[in-house]
Amino acid sequence: MKNLLTLTLTLSGLALSSQAAATRYPLTLTDDLNRKVTIKAEPMRIVSVLPSTTETLCALGVCNRLVGVDTFSDYPQQVTRLPRVGGLYDPNIEAIVALKPDLVLVSKYGKLEGPLTQAGLTVVAVNPETYEEVFSKTLTLGRIVNREAAAKALVTQMRRDIARIEILTKNAARKPTTYLEIDPTPYSVGPNSFMGVLLTKAGARNIIPASMGDFPKVDPEFIVRQNPQLILSTDLKDLGKRPGWNTIAAVKNGRVVEIPQALNTMLGRPGPRLAEALRGLARIIHPELLK
Amino acid sequence: MLAVVLGTALGSVSIPPAEVLGALWRGLSGQELQGNDVIVWQIRLPRVVMAVVVGAALSVCGGAFQGVFRNPLADPYLLGVASGSALGATIAIVSGWPRTTIPLVALALALLAVSVTLALAREGRRFPPTRLILAGVVVGSVLSATTTFLILRGEDRARQVLAYTLGDLGFSGWADVATVLPYAGVGCGVLILLARALDTLQLGDLTARSLGVPVERLRLLVVVAASMATAGAVAYVGIIGFVGLIVPHVVRLAWGSGHRVLLPVSALMGAVLLVLADLLARTSILSQVGIVTTLLGGPFFLYLLRRGQHD
Repeated sequence: MKNLLTLTLTLSGLALSSQAAATRYPLTLTDDLNRKVTIKAEPMRIVSVLPSTTETLCALGVCNRLVGVDTFSDYPQQVTRLPRVGGLYDPNIEAIVALKPDLVLVSKYGKLEGPLTQAGLTVVAVNPETYEEVFSKTLTLGRIVNREAAAKALVTQMRRDIARIEILTKNAARKPTTYLEIDPTPYSVGPNSFMGVLLTKAGARNIIPASMGDFPKVDPEFIVRQNPQLILSTDLKDLGKRPGWNTIAAVKNGRVVEIPQALNTMLGRPGPRLAEALRGLARIIHPELLK
Repeated sequence: MLAVVLGTALGSVSIPPAEVLGALWRGLSGQELQGNDVIVWQIRLPRVVMAVVVGAALSVCGGAFQGVFRNPLADPYLLGVASGSALGATIAIVSGWPRTTIPLVALALALLAVSVTLALAREGRRFPPTRLILAGVVVGSVLSATTTFLILRGEDRARQVLAYTLGDLGFSGWADVATVLPYAGVGCGVLILLARALDTLQLGDLTARSLGVPVERLRLLVVVAASMATAGAVAYVGIIGFVGLIVPHVVRLAWGSGHRVLLPVSALMGAVLLVLADLLARTSILSQVGIVTTLLGGPFFLYLLRRGQHD
């Protein structure tokens, strides 16, 4: 009985690995807009309308299959030479159709799927939003473009790189209470959001409780009351001049750090540079731990 | 008064009443601030005072506009102040200029928008109401389209622009209050002084003229004073909708439509309404004072239309 079980496990293990080797087309899947989509054959001419998707495809080694990208896709370098098809709110549908793609990867937002589907194109919405979704959507994209093995390897590598940084920050003697400002309205990030998870993993204690949601607009008096030891912001202009903010520990002790533009871009992109973004964040929060 | 106390006492950080009073006392007497005093004195109170000033200014201007145009649907934004202000703020935000420059640019463009409207509406030395309203609508549309274009160009800052165009008292400090106060004070003061003349104007241009009221000059003066006050308010807190439209009507229903009563009472009511609306915004998921006032104002607006008020 035990032998039989082992055999079954071995066989199913084999089945899994062979499944990872090649995707079978036509491939039918449910995308992030809950649409059932069938991809007839391996996609060779892809338009990506989301920077994180662009980065993931290139990390899977199919950068050369991209025939067009959105305005904000800027990494890796080679995609900047591709035709631009607009952004989320001002997409150029005609330009997308003219590129004759066999697959368009869109965002959940922006309502691109309707007109593009009507134009006879195959459209799939892929939108990683939570931390765990970054990995699961990488695998999904791998399956779509017949690079499942590469996707699994990439996910393993990303998790390994992240664990390496986490080992350092986990046991940090002091974890500063931190307020991360994503825009000066002010908006911040909750601990369950993708950025919030990175902030915690980088060895900071987020002053925003989970009950406030993922991207809450914060009442300034709440921040003053929480009195964070560290403030990370994309825009330091006038931050100390806000009414009452001169009493915050971070402002008093000069622990207000501007997030560099490049790091900020990475932090906002749930894609393959997750570990790199985490390292950048950890370096700011714990300069003593990361050289 | 009660609204001010409530607005100061309540917020996302709960502070016991005794402590609030203590903070006010220490703030007023210039003593060392301690503990939660900073929140009460430097954040909450200026925010409440700003709500008082802006609420009063918008309501007085709304009342005066409704009177001078003899149009119940007139509001302080009629001549393009709001769209000018929004465009100014958007330019500052999208260009990434420091936050302190936002109100200045907004103010400049708000005043510019009104000047353009006046220039377009002018017929010799006259400013016919219909032409003013039409010119205001056109100027407003053109500026709004420009704003939308800029927002699309600078997508990552769209949230900030959105917050501004919905009205937000977020970072109002004493310095901001001090800047807005002269605009609002002088503007509203002039309007209240003109109350009697506005009453005469309700009889129609011809009758008013025969009573010796300089109708055209009066109209221009009201428009300029109200636009000054509105531009000052809007520049700092964004476009808070409906207050200037609703409050005068509520006051008319309760106290009649004589401007000598209407304008000062509107100021009071507007102040109370906006303080309470901001309190709701600070402590609930609605999060933007403009959303609160518009949610209150929308149904009221429909009720007005249903009643079919026409002059």
